[in-house]
Parts: sequence; C-alpha cells; structure tokens
Amino acid sequence: MPRTKQELYALLSDAVVEMDEDTSVALSNESVEAGYDAFETIDQGLAKGMERAGKLFDESEYFVPELLMCADALNAGVNILKPYIKTEEQSEKHRIVIGVIEGDTHDIGKNLVKLMLSSAGFEVIDLGRDVPPISFVENAIKENAEIIMMSSLMTTTMDGMKETIQLLNEKGVREQFKVAVGGGPVSSGFAEKIGADGYSSNANQAVKLANEWCRQIK
Amino acid sequence: MLTPKERLLNALTGKAADRPPVICPGGMMNAAVVDVMNKTGNTLPDGHFTPEAMSRLAYDVYENTGFENFGIPFCMTVEAEALGSSVDFGSLKCEPKIQEERFMSVKDVAFVQEGSIEKQPRAEAVIQSIYALSKKYPDVPAIGSLTGPISTAASIVDPMIFLKELRREKERAHQVIDYVTNQLISYAKQMADNGASVISIADPTATGEILGPKMFEEYAVCYLNKIADAVHEAGIPVIIHICGDVLMIKPQLKQLHGNVLSVDAIADLKSLKDSLENQRTMGNISTYLLEFSDAEKVYQRTKHLLTKNIDVLAPACGLSTSTPLENITAFTAAVKEQ
Repeated sequence: MPRTKQELYALLSDAVVEMDEDTSVALSNESVEAGYDAFETIDQGLAKGMERAGKLFDESEYFVPELLMCADALNAGVNILKPYIKTEEQSEKHRIVIGVIEGDTHDIGKNLVKLMLSSAGFEVIDLGRDVPPISFVENAIKENAEIIMMSSLMTTTMDGMKETIQLLNEKGVREQFKVAVGGGPVSSGFAEKIGADGYSSNANQAVKLANEWCRQIK
Repeated sequence: MLTPKERLLNALTGKAADRPPVICPGGMMNAAVVDVMNKTGNTLPDGHFTPEAMSRLAYDVYENTGFENFGIPFCMTVEAEALGSSVDFGSLKCEPKIQEERFMSVKDVAFVQEGSIEKQPRAEAVIQSIYALSKKYPDVPAIGSLTGPISTAASIVDPMIFLKELRREKERAHQVIDYVTNQLISYAKQMADNGASVISIADPTATGEILGPKMFEEYAVCYLNKIADAVHEAGIPVIIHICGDVLMIKPQLKQLHGNVLSVDAIADLKSLKDSLENQRTMGNISTYLLEFSDAEKVYQRTKHLLTKNIDVLAPACGLSTSTPLENITAFTAAVKEQ
C-alpha cells in the first residue's frame, strides 16, 4: 500500500535529520512516482527536516559536521524533486547577497548561514570568500537584492564591513538594503557602530532576522 | 631578577616567578601590527620568506610592543603550503591565507615523506630564524608557532568536505590527521632542536562550537596530545590555544597535555581555572578591546585580569594588524608593573 503524503513527508523530514542521503533520494523518487506535489514535498518534508536540524544545532545536539550532512541529504532530495515543481509555484523569492569580507577566507560560518537561508526559501547569491566591499555593493544592486549579509572571522577584516556600508551611503542606495553582519569577532555593538541594520550570532538567527525583515518589506 | 626566558619557562612548568610573563606567541597570534612595521620599515609580506626578514620583524615586535618573547612565523600557512596547498601571501595589512586546498577529499590525500614540512623554504626560514634569534638573544624565549593538526588538515583538504568526512569517512579522516600530525611533530622537533624555547599550537578549526564535544575529543584532543607529548620528549613546554567558546568542552580541555591552555576572551579565566583544577591558563585580553579601545581602558582591564591568577598574560586571539601600538604597550606595561 502506498504511503500517504503525510507519512512520506514525515519520513523525508527524518531522513534529513538523520543525515541519510540515500533514503532522502529514495523517498523523493517515491513522492514523484506517487504523483505528490514536488514543491509541497520539499516544503513539508525536506525543509521541515532542515528546520529540525537547525533546532538541534541551536540546542548543541548537532554541530557543524552534522548540519552540513543534513544539508547534503536535503539537497539530494531537492535535486530529484526540482524538475517537477510547477512553474506557478515558483514564486519570487526574497534575494540575499552574502559573502565573507575581503582578506578573510574562513567561510564555514558563511556557508552555514547560506544553507539555512536557502532551505528556508530565500534565494541566496553567494559571492564567496575574500570579497571586496565594492563587490557587495555592485552585486546587491545588480541582483536586485533586498538584504546584504557579510561575515568575518578575523578582527583584521572587520573594517571592510564598515567600508561596504560607507560605499552604500556614497552611492545613495543605503535605504534599498537591509545589512546584517556576523562572524566570530563581530558583536551587536560593532554592528550598531558601523551602521548595520542587524547582527546575528549564528545561522538560525540569520534566518530569523531575514524573515523578520522580509515581513517588513512586503 | 629573572630573564624573560626563565620567567616564561617557570610559568609554564609551575615554578615560582616574580610576576606572570606577558607574551604573544606568533603564528595566528602574532603582533606584527602595521604601527610597528611602519615605524621600523621591516614589513610584511617580506617577513614571511627569509630568515633574515623574519628575525628582523620578530625583533622589532619584541622591542616595540613589550611582549617578552620572539614569536615566529607571522601566519598559519607554512605547514599547509609545504603539504601542497597554494597560498596568497597577503599584504602589509592582511595576513596570508590558503588560496586553494590541495585536495577535495580525505580520500584523495597523497602522503608525502615524513619530514617534508621542514624542507619547504619558508619552514626552513622559520627554523633558521629561531636558531639565529635564540643564539643572539639567549635571554629571550623564541616561540615556534605551529598550526594545529585539525586546522592543517582542513587547509590541505577542502574544509567543508573535510568536516563532513570527520563523520562520513572516519577511518580515512583519522589516517589523514595522523599523517599531518606526524609531519607537524617532525617540524616542531626541528624548531626545538634549533633553539625554540617553547612550541605554541593554535588550532582554530578545532573548536567546541564547530566540532562539538564528542568530535573535539575524538580528533582534536587525541592529535594535539600526540604533538604535545612529542614536543615534551624533545624537552620543551607546549602552549595550546583553543578558539571560541570553551564552555561545552571543559571536560575535554582537562585532558589536554599542554603546559598551559590559552583561550579566547569569551572565557572567564578565573572560573575556567577553578573548574580545570590543574590546568595552567593563558590569556586573555580581548583583541577587540586592544583594537578599538584606548590605552587607559586597556590598562584598567589588564589590572583586572591580573587579579585572576592567570599564569601567562597574552592576547585572547589573533591581533588585528591595525591595533594601535600604544594599546599594546599599555597592556604589556600594566603586567610588568606587577
């Protein structure tokens, strides 16, 4: 007897939490064959699992390696389901430009934020690591983003965040974007000092911040 | 009166000293700030390459900052470069970084002969610089800085893949880290044989926050201790620096074999010391404070820190190259007044 939608979604969510790529792929195929809605399968199954994984990360049950493996299980399923998403369901996503500031190549934290944002339904434009301030500004404008997120793991490179905000001001586009900063040496005090709109200490907080801002934007 | 070397060695081995030493061990935690380099004209990135340039800059830092040691090198890329990764050497203001990791997976890592790090020209320069400084200034401890085993492994294998493989490819991950560890031991022994008074290991990828307590124990503690034991066998003490919030990994920190445990500013050293029983502690003036505050605040904060029975005073993490020199000297002077 075929599984109901609800059963399948719960199992998919479990597969992500349990970091099980093979099961995620098998269940995603099963969903396609059963004719269940692909978008809903991602939203109610895989993404729910990633949300649970994020919570476990918050509770210090999971750490970076586990979260990365959950994301692999999520992506393995999404890759199966993506071609079956109906076009009318592909609503405009909120766009976020993200990167590690110039001089810094530590991108573990940034990658975590990116992955939690993507699984929470944002379109994330990843500029990578070692990104010059001007590149944040140009790409945010070009990509028509609503949010800019910058991270740094070294005190040496924090000045670049300030410079990015100055450049936004100089170009007269500061009001078009919400700017968040994060990373090891960064604090909410520093965020305020350089004129950023927000600070997040971890990937889950970054998602909360982005959700909050997008509610204000729309 | 004790020489700086005697004072540091006493502090690291639990012998009495007139006051705690104040040091900056080099590597990730080096004090080659722009203010010093502009004053003396001996600059980075030149100081990353030859023993002469390295020694000049290490001496300038010692002379101008008040730190009571030589700390070499000024980056944490020497080891990974020697094991095959490419490095961007940065600029006066910006420290070197790994441009591209040599391998995509622990499964791809090709093992090269043990002793390969010290054959690489920059590692050779480190060893020669330690030799020259320790001969010329026998009273000042020369600290050889080592990038820790997890960070070095995550600098030769793509770090995101590496972290997953700590779970997915456990056996191979252990083999690769053990290989890296043996390479680091051979290099550290060369530093010890050539006059290093202390080896300082910083392993910023191996934090409780990234790995969690279980993996921190399985990977970081195990291989850090293997290095510490080997360095002890070579006859000199070991500093181990752990980045980030250490609250969650206190039981694991107790197991570390370093002579002193250096931690980030987030940790309260007094309560940490109390709960770690016999671990000696090093730290932990905030590098944020050093960069953005003023000399008076740094001085006050240092005086407060001195009440906490810390064995060795040092910056809590890597110093920003734009840290004002007068803030650094306010820190070291406050300790020396004791």
